[in-house]
Amino acid sequence: MLGSIKGLKTTLSTMIRKPVTAEYPIPEKRLDIDKRFMGFPALLWDYSNDEPYCTGCMVCIRECPTLCMSATMSDNERFSEGKSTRKKIIESFEINLSRCIVCGICVDVCNFDAIEMSHEHELSKLKRNLNRVNLETLIDMGKQFQKKIGWKPLQIRNIGDPNLREHLKLKAKAEMAKISMKDGETKDHISNANDNLSSREGNSPQ
Amino acid sequence: MTWITAAWYVVGAFGLIVFLSITVMVLTWIERKFLARIQQRMGPMRVGPHGTLQPIADVIKLITKEDILPSWADRPIYWIAPLAIFVPAIAIWVTIPFSESLVLQNLDLGLFYIVAISILSVLGLVMAGWGSANKYAMLGALRAVGQLISYEIPFIMAILGVAMLSQSLSLIDIVNDQSRIANIIVQPLGFFIFLVAGLAELGRTPFDIYHAESEVVGGPFVEYSGAHWAIIQLAEYVNTFAVAALIALMFLGGWSWPSMPFSGLAYNLLSLMWFLVKIYGVVLLIFWIRGTYPRLRIDQLMSFGWKVLVPVSFINIIFTGIVQFYNLHWSILTLLSLISIFVISYLIYKRPNASYKQNSIKIVPAKDATELPPENYGESNAR
Repeated sequence: MLGSIKGLKTTLSTMIRKPVTAEYPIPEKRLDIDKRFMGFPALLWDYSNDEPYCTGCMVCIRECPTLCMSATMSDNERFSEGKSTRKKIIESFEINLSRCIVCGICVDVCNFDAIEMSHEHELSKLKRNLNRVNLETLIDMGKQFQKKIGWKPLQIRNIGDPNLREHLKLKAKAEMAKISMKDGETKDHISNANDNLSSREGNSPQ
Repeated sequence: MTWITAAWYVVGAFGLIVFLSITVMVLTWIERKFLARIQQRMGPMRVGPHGTLQPIADVIKLITKEDILPSWADRPIYWIAPLAIFVPAIAIWVTIPFSESLVLQNLDLGLFYIVAISILSVLGLVMAGWGSANKYAMLGALRAVGQLISYEIPFIMAILGVAMLSQSLSLIDIVNDQSRIANIIVQPLGFFIFLVAGLAELGRTPFDIYHAESEVVGGPFVEYSGAHWAIIQLAEYVNTFAVAALIALMFLGGWSWPSMPFSGLAYNLLSLMWFLVKIYGVVLLIFWIRGTYPRLRIDQLMSFGWKVLVPVSFINIIFTGIVQFYNLHWSILTLLSLISIFVISYLIYKRPNASYKQNSIKIVPAKDATELPPENYGESNAR
C-alpha cells in the first residue's frame, strides 16, 4: 500500500525532470559529434599552398578492402613553376561511400596526410548510386572537417609551400639542437627524437 | 414532442458527438505527452508545434487504412461489434450535465440510466471477441466479461453511497447538494472505491487485463483495423472521459465553486470551465496511474475485486446509512471512512492469510552432497 504511493511519487519526480531526448535530424537540436569520431574518408586541403595534399599515389586505393575508391594522377604544373613541392597532383578521385566500411586503412597507409576520416556519416539517399562522391565533394568534406576540429599537418615534409617547409625544417633542427645541448649524454634519445619528427606521433611543428 | 424539442435533441446529440470526438483527440495527445514525460521522453513533436496536430494525422491514417476482414470471421457480429461498443459510450453522455442548464436531457434516474447503459458495452466486447474468430480475441472477451461484471458491483455500490448522501439519482441534484462540501471530503472511501472500480471498468492500466498486449495481443480488438478500430478506440476514450466526468460530478462537486462572484452568462461559462478543469484533473490522475503501475494478474484482479472492493463498498454503504439514519454530522462519516481506509490498507499490507514461506529450493554445499534432500523437498507452502 505504501509502495504504491511511493511509485506515484517516483513517476511524479521523473515527470518534472527534463526529457533526455535529442531530436536527431533537426540541425540545432542534435548532439555534437565527438572529435575522435570516424566518419567517411575525406581529402584534406593544404591551405599553405592552395592545393590538396593528395598526389594520387594510389596507396589507399590498393589497400582498400572493399575496392570502393578510384583515382587518377596528373603532373603538377605548379611544381615546374617552383611554387609547390608536389611533382604530381590528384586529378580525379571517386569514393563510393555506400561501399566504404569506415575501416580507416586508407588513413593509416597514406604517406602525405592527404586523407582523413571526417565527421560525415549520414548517407540516406533515394537511389543506390547516389553516394558516389567525386573530388570536389571529398575536398569540401575535408575542408569542413579541418575547420571543425582545427586540423594541422603532422609532418613537415608534407607541407606544399617550399619556403614554409624550409623554414619549419630549420626551426625543428634548432629545437633538436637545443635538446642535445641540454642532454648531451643520451645520444640515442636524440636520434630517436629526430625520427619522431617525421612520424605521426610527433608534435605539430606549425 | 414539439418540433423545437426534436430539433434541440438532434442538434444537441450532433454537438455532443463532435465535442466528444474533439475531446478524444485532445485526450490521446495529452496521454502520449504525459506518459512520455513520465518516461523522460518528449512524445509526439513533429506534426505541428509540440505535436499538437498528431491526433489529426492519426485520424487520417486510421481512416485511410485498409479494413481487414478475417476469413473465418462471423461477419455480421464482427461488423456490428464496434457499434455495440460505441453506442453505449455515447449514450451515457445524454444525461451527464456540463453545467446546470447545459445538458441534453436531465433524467431523475440519471445515475441508474448510466449504470444500466454502461454495462451494455460488455456485450460489444464479447461480440468483437467471438466475431473475430481468433483465440486471443476470444480469451480477451472472456476476461473482459469476468472483469467488467465483477467490478460492476463496487462501481454501483459507490454510486449508491453518493445517491444516499444527496437523496437523489439526478446528477444535477447531486452537484447542487455538494455546493458547500464536496463528497470526496465526506466520503473518501466511496471516492477510492469508485476510482478503482472505474479504472477496472475502463480497462485502464493496472486493470488492462482484457486487452493486455503482452498476453492476449490486444484482446477483443486484435483483428480490427482502420476505421472500425478507430471507433473502438474512440469509445474507450469517451468512456475514460465519462468516468472522469462522473468522478468530478459525484465527488469533486461538479461545476460548483467555493464562492462565485458572477451571475448569468459569465457564471455559466465559468462554471463550465471549472467543471472541465476538474474533469481534466481526474483524467491526468488516471494517466498518471497508468504511467506508474504494472498490470495485475487475472487472479489478483479477481481476488481484489471480490475479497476487498465488494465488502468495502458494503461497509461504505452501511456507514453512510448509519450517519444518515441518526442524522449525525457529516464529519463523522469522514472519520469513519478514513479509519476504514487505513484499516483496510493495513490488512492488505499484512495479508494475514497469505504465507510467503517457500521451501521449494534448498541449497546443499558440494562437500555434503552425499546428504539426501528432505522428504518434503520441492513442496511449497505458498498458496
